[in-house]
Amino acid sequence: MNYTEKLNQLLKRVEKPGRYIGGEINSVKKNPADVDARFAFCFPDLYEIGMSYLGMQILYKTLNDREKIYCERVFAPGVDMEALMREENMPLMTLETKTPLGEMDFVGFTLQYEMSYTTVLNMMDLAQLPLKAADRAASEKEYPLVVAGGPCALNPEPLADFIDMFFIGDGEVVLPAVVELYGECRKKGMSREEFYREACKMDGVYIPSLYDVTYNEDGTIKELCKLYDWAPMPVRRAIIENIEELPFPTNPIVPFVEAVHDRSVVETFRGCTRGCRFCQAGMIYRPVRERSREKIMQLAMDNLHNTGNDELSLLSLSTSDYSQFEELCNELIPACKRENVSLSLPSLRIDKFAFDVLNKIQEYRKSGLTYAPEAGTQRLRDVINKGVTEADIYKSIEQALELGWTNIKLYFMIGLPTETDEDLDGIAEIARNIVDLNYKINGRKGGRFNVTVSVSNFVPKANTPFQWESQNTAEEFARKHNYLTDKLRMKHVTFNYHDNATSSFEAVFARGDRRCSELLLAAFRNGCKLDSWTEHFKPEGWEKAFADSRINRSFYTERKREFDEVLPWDIIDSGVSKKFLKLEAERAYNETTTHDCRHGCVGCGINRYVKCEMEGTL
Amino acid sequence: MNRYVLKFYKDGYVKYTSHLDLLRIFKRSFKKTGLALQYSQGFNPHPKMGFAQPLSLGYSSKCELIEFETAENHDPADILQKMKDVLPEGLEPVSCVRFESNIKSLAGEADSAEYVVWAPLPESAAADWNNDVLTGKISDYLAQTEITAMKRQKKTKKLAPVDIRKMIRGMQGMVVTDVEGRKALMLNLHLDCGSTSNLSPELVISTFLPFCSLDIERYDVEVERKTLKFVKNLQF
Ligand code: SF4
Repeated sequence: MNYTEKLNQLLKRVEKPGRYIGGEINSVKKNPADVDARFAFCFPDLYEIGMSYLGMQILYKTLNDREKIYCERVFAPGVDMEALMREENMPLMTLETKTPLGEMDFVGFTLQYEMSYTTVLNMMDLAQLPLKAADRAASEKEYPLVVAGGPCALNPEPLADFIDMFFIGDGEVVLPAVVELYGECRKKGMSREEFYREACKMDGVYIPSLYDVTYNEDGTIKELCKLYDWAPMPVRRAIIENIEELPFPTNPIVPFVEAVHDRSVVETFRGCTRGCRFCQAGMIYRPVRERSREKIMQLAMDNLHNTGNDELSLLSLSTSDYSQFEELCNELIPACKRENVSLSLPSLRIDKFAFDVLNKIQEYRKSGLTYAPEAGTQRLRDVINKGVTEADIYKSIEQALELGWTNIKLYFMIGLPTETDEDLDGIAEIARNIVDLNYKINGRKGGRFNVTVSVSNFVPKANTPFQWESQNTAEEFARKHNYLTDKLRMKHVTFNYHDNATSSFEAVFARGDRRCSELLLAAFRNGCKLDSWTEHFKPEGWEKAFADSRINRSFYTERKREFDEVLPWDIIDSGVSKKFLKLEAERAYNETTTHDCRHGCVGCGINRYVKCEMEGTL
Repeated sequence: MNRYVLKFYKDGYVKYTSHLDLLRIFKRSFKKTGLALQYSQGFNPHPKMGFAQPLSLGYSSKCELIEFETAENHDPADILQKMKDVLPEGLEPVSCVRFESNIKSLAGEADSAEYVVWAPLPESAAADWNNDVLTGKISDYLAQTEITAMKRQKKTKKLAPVDIRKMIRGMQGMVVTDVEGRKALMLNLHLDCGSTSNLSPELVISTFLPFCSLDIERYDVEVERKTLKFVKNLQF
């Protein structure tokens, strides 16, 4: 029985077989015999999650626009499907042509969150590939090149033993270039080393096997060194200066099984100028690069027509920071009305204009309004450089209440550097003030009204001003959760918090080094996978993995690093200078803020490589 | 009123899309063609569109019917062509007709359906089977006054016994051999399929195969819907 017949059988035995069949509207069909290189784009999570992710659709299009490349998709199978695949010894295959991954030229993973790493290993294992890059290289058999990219690749080291090549930064130019180069090198009969030598001349290409790491007795890194004199050091992040003309999917695949976000999405700009000190995205996507309003409108309308979607969303790190946001809304809102399409504007900064917009687009659903003060006191908000004042918040909430909103959501982080219980009290204070505002406006019997306070645990991330910071222990987080639960026992207030276990594992990998690969391997062997799903998350498997691999968790989580310590990700140059990050850390301790660089450059260093079009525009 | 019925095949991998997913695919496809559907009135307007009878996940079909209303008048041939252009592989429109009728919905008029069931014989049993044996078994099966099948109840989700005999309108069979020489039972079933009485082929499969002392995995069995019949002798 061949794989497709077997697949046909398995599809009758699993939940949601539509996840595994491919052939959706706008998926790409090519004859594999007609191309020079075949790329399997792997999303280390279920179909419904992966299909909502714009980055995959962008790169799928970018690669398939090249005649000689065929990019296909792969997702993590559900646990029922996985069990059957293992029982029947069926390898993981691509959706488009049902080709086992082992027969592809590239197997590429996108790394969106650290908690997907075990699923990366699990998918490689299901594809019947040796997990370690060195084992694949030493084998007689020729295996695909296993590559990875995405935001987590900015600290690639915990995966360095498994991945042959990382793509750091914007992928639209470097990824197809490397895939094409691979096709050419193979035609010319060049060796893998010769291919590597050519590939790493491009910005954004990091090949871990070209480097070695030595350690000090105390476990910190002694030196990062290159093994070949032609290897770049550090590897500079790929940055595309102008995103206006980049390929953007106006013909995205329409998922068969309803995805979490089933809607058309247009990226308005990349990057953020605000400079929140905890935020990795705000640092690693610099500088801000916008698409023109005309382009955004055209992409949006084409996309809606090609997909038949009835919802449109704009994507960026901070929707309302788009320089022509008002003009864009004034054009977009009537256009969506005409097309019978609902418009959603995530991460909107709530001001007067935003209210008008929200009033227009959510006539019937005046439900939730979201604020992210992130910290409970002005002092701590200054430390993290979150430029919101309480006065701002209350003013706009007062307006919201008057306009009939009944649901306010507040997001905070706990465990931030310099945090004390006073800052936690501040969180409760804000919630109480909002409840009081509601009483003031809507009377004592103010009707249906709710404030939801969600706190997440601070995870220090690589390439941010807080990359040297200590993370709270699980006990400390638990204590703070209890403390807040107590303080937030108020009428009309709901309190939510995130699981402690995952944030500490996440923290290990966010700043981990190559030795953490053993931890990952052990966790995978203990059956950990799909860790971001509560129903699949196995904390025991992880606990045992720490014991199995003898990785000292607190070394990675709680330990405060010295400024002069060699960091695992020093091998990567994100474009933002270490000097700037240090300066920002010091300013944080001094409770000094740094302004949004649209008011003038603050010297993050990215302009050594590219022009910042938004500098000083406000 | 611009009311139409589109008939399409469902075959290949796309047979693993659920009824709800198929509704979404059609909704999107209509939007993509630019054929604007008529929307219902009211607080929560939805496009006027519906399938004549849902098809179980995993079945292929030669007779899927979707009825819909468009906002403007269109040539059915034009609709057919546009839908052919946009529907994913495996969903193949074969005809489109105008449906000027005052009946409320096709679903309300559906009455019975014909299915073909293909069940590969285990090698150990293959030699015992030929057309005569099968015909004999079928008439014995149908001769029972009651055929008790276990059916999952919609509300309680529990299995409960039901008598399905009266819902089987006809049943014939043949023993066939595929290209690789594997023998299989091919059953033609004619079953109730409407709003008042509805019998899923699953219940025939799960009673007839054990009745023949055949142990065949459900996942080896293929089912295809051949025709869907209506009370008022509507034909598409
Ligand atoms: S170089 Fe200056 S203007 Fe450019 S992103 Fe950095 S701080 Fe902003």
